[in-house]
Amino acid sequence: MKIKVTIIACMLIALAGWVQPSSSMAAEPYHLGVDLAITGTGALYCKDGVDAIKLAVGEINAKGGFLGKHPVKLFIRDSHTKPDIAVREAKDLILRDKVRAILGTYSSACAVAIKPVAQEYKVLHIPAISNSEGITLTHFSPYTYQVVPNSYMQAKAVVLGVAELAKKKGWTNYITIASDYEWGRSTQQNTVELLKQFAPNLKLKKEFWPRLGETQYTSYITAIMAQKPDFVIGSVASKDNVAWMKQAKAYGFFDKIPYPGSLISVSELILQAKTLTRGLVGLCRAPFFAHMDVPMMANFVKNFKAKYNRYPSDWAVMEYDAVYALKQGIDKAGSINSEKVKDALKGATIDTTRGKLFFRDIDNQLSCSSYIGVVSDDPKYPFPIYHDLVEVKGPDSWRPEAEILEARSKE
Amino acid sequence: MDPSMIFAQFLSGLSRGMMLFLIASGLSLIFGVMNILNFAHAALWLVGAYFCYTFWYLMQGTALGLWFSIVLAALALAVVGWIIEVVLIRRVYNRELSEQLLLTYALVLIIDDLIKIVWGVEDKLIERPPVVADPVFIFGAPLDSYFVFVIIVGFGVAIGLWWFLKKTRYGHIVRASVFSREMVSALGIPIPRIYTGVFAMGIFIAGLAGAIQAPVGSITLGMDMAVIIQAFCVVVIGGLGSLLGTFVASLVVGEVYAFSILFWPEGALVLIFIVTALVLIIRPWGLFGTPVRT
Amino acid sequence: MKKYSWLVLIFIATLILPHVIGEFWIHVAIEILIFGLFAVSFNMLFGYMGQLSFGHAAYFGVGAYATGLLMLKTSVPLPVCLVFSMVAAGATALIFGYFCVRLTGIYFAILTMAFGQLIYYIIFQWYSFTGGDNGLQGIVPPEWLYNVKNYYYFTIFIVTAALIVMWFISESPFGYTMRAIRDNTERTRFIGINVRKYMLINFVVAGMFAGLAGGLLGPFTRSIAPDLCNWQQSGVPVFMTVIGGPLGFFGPMIGSVIYTFLFAFVTGFTEYWPLTIGLVIIFVVLYMPGGILGLVNEKMDSIKFKEQTGDLNNGLEKEA
Repeated sequence: MKIKVTIIACMLIALAGWVQPSSSMAAEPYHLGVDLAITGTGALYCKDGVDAIKLAVGEINAKGGFLGKHPVKLFIRDSHTKPDIAVREAKDLILRDKVRAILGTYSSACAVAIKPVAQEYKVLHIPAISNSEGITLTHFSPYTYQVVPNSYMQAKAVVLGVAELAKKKGWTNYITIASDYEWGRSTQQNTVELLKQFAPNLKLKKEFWPRLGETQYTSYITAIMAQKPDFVIGSVASKDNVAWMKQAKAYGFFDKIPYPGSLISVSELILQAKTLTRGLVGLCRAPFFAHMDVPMMANFVKNFKAKYNRYPSDWAVMEYDAVYALKQGIDKAGSINSEKVKDALKGATIDTTRGKLFFRDIDNQLSCSSYIGVVSDDPKYPFPIYHDLVEVKGPDSWRPEAEILEARSKE
Repeated sequence: MDPSMIFAQFLSGLSRGMMLFLIASGLSLIFGVMNILNFAHAALWLVGAYFCYTFWYLMQGTALGLWFSIVLAALALAVVGWIIEVVLIRRVYNRELSEQLLLTYALVLIIDDLIKIVWGVEDKLIERPPVVADPVFIFGAPLDSYFVFVIIVGFGVAIGLWWFLKKTRYGHIVRASVFSREMVSALGIPIPRIYTGVFAMGIFIAGLAGAIQAPVGSITLGMDMAVIIQAFCVVVIGGLGSLLGTFVASLVVGEVYAFSILFWPEGALVLIFIVTALVLIIRPWGLFGTPVRT
Repeated sequence: MKKYSWLVLIFIATLILPHVIGEFWIHVAIEILIFGLFAVSFNMLFGYMGQLSFGHAAYFGVGAYATGLLMLKTSVPLPVCLVFSMVAAGATALIFGYFCVRLTGIYFAILTMAFGQLIYYIIFQWYSFTGGDNGLQGIVPPEWLYNVKNYYYFTIFIVTAALIVMWFISESPFGYTMRAIRDNTERTRFIGINVRKYMLINFVVAGMFAGLAGGLLGPFTRSIAPDLCNWQQSGVPVFMTVIGGPLGFFGPMIGSVIYTFLFAFVTGFTEYWPLTIGLVIIFVVLYMPGGILGLVNEKMDSIKFKEQTGDLNNGLEKEA
């Protein structure tokens, strides 16, 4: 009786092995994986990203798919904003769903985690929201292409602006508050280093590191106000940013302390339209309103608004660009084979909603810009946008190649 | 650093402590009377926050919408608590500790997913009513004016529970049933009904706490995970079964957290566990619990 | 030997497995083995000693980090790393266990949980050493284990060896002392046994094997994170043990097979895994308190009972 049970068990397990979707050879669909934070701290930004991906895929499939003959099949997984789950889902996507490329992630820690897995299984990896420099600086993977201005680029854009402001206003000290995870750390570190370079007289008074997913910032707010710094730089993102800014406002924080150059993405502009303090100098990664003169962007905004009844945030823009970057790589390679696409994308110039940009050879970083401006109301939109917009171009803000080589030699 | 800023930090710790007390008091009540450590307490707290959001959303435009929503959410949770007790909790009264913990932990998983199914994955934001939009200043120290309300409610709940247990007939019966279930039921009072009532009351407070938390930041999935552990720690530090202990411990934990942000930010998260571990090692029955041989 | 014949059969089946199932399911099988080992180590405290630890993941995590850090930063060979994992986890268990074994019941549970969270936050905050919440990424197993099938056989080898050791411990006088402590601590103390010392030894051994399981995980998943130490992770071996049955040695392993397989299966078509496992646990707690093994034992007992009373009834009928 026990022998029978064992045999049946073995057969069931063997059966499970065969129950896998078979792909027909003709008109082979292109399996595209998405590993984003559907839940967890990153969910706020990721929903927009997923919607944009679906829009892009719909447009491509309306024309028959990649190269007109490979319909795109989406596989969407939730990374929960946790790197180990992101890795697990990535492995699932690669082994079970047989995806050829993975789009995502939100958390930079997740991007850094998935990178070696994608490299091991030779799958393309485009993190279109995560932007920590750690993704492209060290442990370089030729399969990873970055379409977001990375944390160094963003930090440099901010620093150039803040250094000017500090000189004008005679500031001498500052405090940082940054979410304690890969992106927060990377951004804060880059900012502090660059400030030392461009405004050496500024002193970093204290650093605060609320954990990722913190919902109560009260103690941080009062602690910072107790120190009376000349200005504060914040590197807090997504839901945390919403909570932080909402609670700080309730303490009159922004009226008392200058808060220049912190990340206020289009998501925050839209979500906190009623309460956001006007006149704040903020930073963002891909505001649609900065490129309405580019036909691809105008079309995208029109279609996104028609389909989802809202304006696209930075994350939607970049995920959309990611899908089209992949498409252009496939077009250039003339094939969906990941090796050929990877080689085709190397150093390639592509059309994006933000204009014609290219991938830098040394780190596969797209030459995209960072945007700094003043939060102001605008008659065209039901939420505040950035006026006095300064676009700091990619090549002006990315880390010099010599420094990258130096960092890599230390690995 | 001037004294008004130290006072500000003290106030923020007080606010945090009060929020903790609101969550932990229901947990403490349920454990004190029924000896069940309700793992699902924070999950139900979160449901309270979501209910508050929904009620507020439906009542947008009505004056006092938020305040009504808070009360309604608490009442709704009392009903939910009543149902859960009758359907599930009742079955594990006489079972092993592990089975009780597992059952309530399984409930956490189920409730969290149900929240996801019903309310979706997006954050919910409640707009603050203008009366609590600006900070108040107490002796020059800023305080989020909403927290004035929180502190008042916290004291209210503490006094209310004390008055209920010490001064009302029902409260006396509840305390008696802690000492001797047999005696109380021998007097003709049905223990199951008492337990259901106490559980519903505990969950009512949890719902109230959740609803009160709702306007503070945004309401997110998974908020309950960090909270339940803090609630456990507070109840243990104060003493399992002692409401006064829970009250004092909540305030202590809140203040310790607030001041550690000021002086040792890296340790802020770790301190509560160090304190809990120390209490369990040196004095397992907590600050105000009855000394037991463990 | 009839008792062990089915064990041998299952062992042979596991050896042939990788040649009949797809690569994805080999990954699942390795997970089953690693977490099964973790759960069996947990059961040394729960089923055999009668105490619920809700912080066992701390030792699992310490083991994972020990191997992970050694593999990333040094060139120590994997088998040696695993030994270090066991030592590190055992040392941690010694420090925490010293305090935990002075308590029982709910106090024991909460103290183990508090210690578990402590380790979690220490690893989380100690960014410079552990990478904080980035975790450790890109942990690569040595060449000869790079292929997942090889890693599978390696895992079988280690897990089987560990299970054999734990089996001998559980069937030794020490193991029976544990059962005595579980069933009646007072009496055990009266016959002169230093209960605390024995509990501590058991705690450390359980921690060491949890550390071994953790050590196996890192090179397999290529990625470890502080979350491996938190209380939700501590709940996993509890679930597995309860599903499989705490009163039998293989209960937790059976639980791991069901839990892990269910997880891999269910997450293939729905995101609502917590709902699923929550319902399963409630069902098991309410209607199958002994887990699968308990159910099997009941059926076996009732079969034996029928066999025995069958004769009796026949005898009675004949008389009547």
